[in-house]
Amino acid sequence: MGLRVIEFHLEARSGVSPYLQIVGQVRQALLLGLLTEGDKLPTVKEVVAKVAINPNTVSKAYRELEHQGLAAAKPGVGTFITRSLGQASLAEHGPLQQELRGWLAKARAAGLTEPGIEALFTSTFRESAESAEEER
Amino acid sequence: MIWLTWRQFRAQAVAAVVILAAATAYFVATGLGMHHSYATDLASCTAQNDCDTLLSQLRYKYDAMFNLAELLVVAAPALIGIFWGAPLIGRELETGTHQVAWNQSVTRTRWLAIKLAGVGLASMATAGVLSYLLTWWAGPLDQIDGSRFAAMTFSTRDIVPLAYAAFAFALGTIAGLLLRRTIPAMAVTLAVFIGIQVLVPTMIRPNLLPSTTVTYTLDESSLSQANGIFGQGGSSGDFYMSGLGVSQGAWVLSSTPVENSSDQPIPLNAIQSCLPAIGPNGKGGRGGTDFAQVGSCLAHDNLHESVTYQPSSHYWPIQWFESGLFLVLTALLSGACFWWIRRRQN
Amino acid sequence: MSAILHAQALGKRYGRRQALAECTLEIPPGHVVGLVGPNGAGKTTLLKIACGMLAPTSGRIEVLGEQPAADPTQLARIGYVAQDTPTYPNLSVADHLKLGAKLNPRWDAELAQARIEQLELDPKQKAGKLSGGQRAQLALTVAVAKRPELLILDEPVASLDPLARRSFLRHLMESVAENGTSVILSSHLVSDLERVCDYLVVLVSSRLQLAGETDDLLAQHYRIVCTRRKESDLPSDLEVIWAEHTDRQSTFVVRGDAEPPTGDWVADHLELEDLVLTYMERAADSGRRAKTLKTEDAR
Repeated sequence: MGLRVIEFHLEARSGVSPYLQIVGQVRQALLLGLLTEGDKLPTVKEVVAKVAINPNTVSKAYRELEHQGLAAAKPGVGTFITRSLGQASLAEHGPLQQELRGWLAKARAAGLTEPGIEALFTSTFRESAESAEEER
Repeated sequence: MIWLTWRQFRAQAVAAVVILAAATAYFVATGLGMHHSYATDLASCTAQNDCDTLLSQLRYKYDAMFNLAELLVVAAPALIGIFWGAPLIGRELETGTHQVAWNQSVTRTRWLAIKLAGVGLASMATAGVLSYLLTWWAGPLDQIDGSRFAAMTFSTRDIVPLAYAAFAFALGTIAGLLLRRTIPAMAVTLAVFIGIQVLVPTMIRPNLLPSTTVTYTLDESSLSQANGIFGQGGSSGDFYMSGLGVSQGAWVLSSTPVENSSDQPIPLNAIQSCLPAIGPNGKGGRGGTDFAQVGSCLAHDNLHESVTYQPSSHYWPIQWFESGLFLVLTALLSGACFWWIRRRQN
Repeated sequence: MSAILHAQALGKRYGRRQALAECTLEIPPGHVVGLVGPNGAGKTTLLKIACGMLAPTSGRIEVLGEQPAADPTQLARIGYVAQDTPTYPNLSVADHLKLGAKLNPRWDAELAQARIEQLELDPKQKAGKLSGGQRAQLALTVAVAKRPELLILDEPVASLDPLARRSFLRHLMESVAENGTSVILSSHLVSDLERVCDYLVVLVSSRLQLAGETDDLLAQHYRIVCTRRKESDLPSDLEVIWAEHTDRQSTFVVRGDAEPPTGDWVADHLELEDLVLTYMERAADSGRRAKTLKTEDAR
């Protein structure tokens, strides 16, 4: 059966459609270095047996990953990662993280509460993610 | 489907087998002794010519057991109807398990057919065993009684119990099907079955075959077979003689009162002069009254009485007819079950 | 393959009560269909007609191209688990599997056995002694192991605790992934269905309100918030499903093929639960209005 490399979860009320959540979780895993080129993604059956979601959702997510050039399906064998995302791992983004800490300090100083900071970040992040999608 | 029917019926089958085994043990153990006593008594009394007394004693000795045994065999079909018939479909509808059974790959018709056939045959077999046991066991006692036409006796001998069991089972099944609840179905089955068992011996059984009516002129020869006078209203009321000239084993259905030559019933006190003083066994008793003498006394009064009866030769034909009647009812009820089940389908 | 369920003006009447009315529906294969609606809306009636337990009083229905429960072959193609997942209380788990094996020609004994082991059910345990969740899983196993093309489940998770609920759905999805079975499952809670359903049917007051692929429905509906205005002031190609007004503000739920043009409003998609609730409110409201009209007519 092979290594169980990644497990998915579904956030019911996130406003992001389920298949995109899966795509996002694969991309996140790639960024964190948990998945690399050649790794086999879990089969549709394995995913839905753990996370009670519609198999079509998983199929759609995998097709999207193929479309983004991140994975490829080998009939009868499975779906495999074809490339990594951004060669550097998260740990190497020290300067970016410093900038982020600075911004957080500014936000707190401006009087935002924790949920407020999170809301501001999430909506801005989503906006820019959607426009980045549209550009492609 | 046969497996499922058996599996659902298993507990009841085991209970039935246990009861039948106990009944067999009981009947065989007591019956062998009784049959032996009868044979011995019969041999000795024929020589001494006091068979009436000796055999009556034997009969009386087993009277309590006799009544109890008949009661059990008459109750058996009712119990079958209640415990095997009413839950057959009623329980499934009540608990919703029919939704499991009807959504496998067997049609509803087949489901019903196998259940009805399987448990129906088991019902008839159970009743058959009990009837066979009792008929064998009571053989000598029935001989002493002279006939098997008494209401409880007829209903518990030979083949009618099988037909009753089949009918009660079908009755229970359709009650469960229509009422969709086991307990109410049990109650309705019991009530209807008891009603029918009261109705049939009194209103239907006597008319299953044409009966015979014989008119007897009261004289010494006709009254020599009499065994009692039954008054219906004191000394000024009607009366009739019982036991008149009827062949051994006949089933007396009715008797007109004693009437004179103008077909008018006469009151009891009209023949007072011919009646002896009350014998040691009391009025109507057989032991002390010499009816032949009463007969010769009344001979010149031109009195007559008409008796309607079924001869003993009609016993088996009536058994068959009554069984047939109940089996026809069973078929009708079963057919109704099928019709009802199919009604809900497209 | 043709539709798994094709209903035309389907109706069921009990005396004076109309349990289901004018239901026209065509459900494509390969989906997990969520049938949602309040209690008494007619969900159970529709499902019972689909599996042949009830006969309709008007209209027509075809399931997998045939009349429901027409013959043993048709019965073999559809698995049904009724509300409260009935099982035979005095039959053991193993007995239930034997029941399935004896009564179904396409019974998959290995699949059934594997699932029982996976669920850690004791084969000798009588079904009456199992917990609600275990009974539901047993009933589902019996329905799935007969290898149906279509599974019909009536409120299968209604009486289950959250853990049992999740476990049930996981096993159901696993079966769907493995066998390609189509599923129709009903619930009066949208939250039960959101995770697993990709086709939605909304039934309220015995009438069909909405039917379609979940993604399409979510994409086609918008909530528009703007200053107070009339429905007719909105673009004409938007169908107004629901409108609510305060003194200053109007909120509309609209349906349209394309995205609404930018205007002096905020247009947003709805969550599935809100979408279903909107249609339910609409149905309840028109029911109230119909009743008021009736009483007014009577007067």
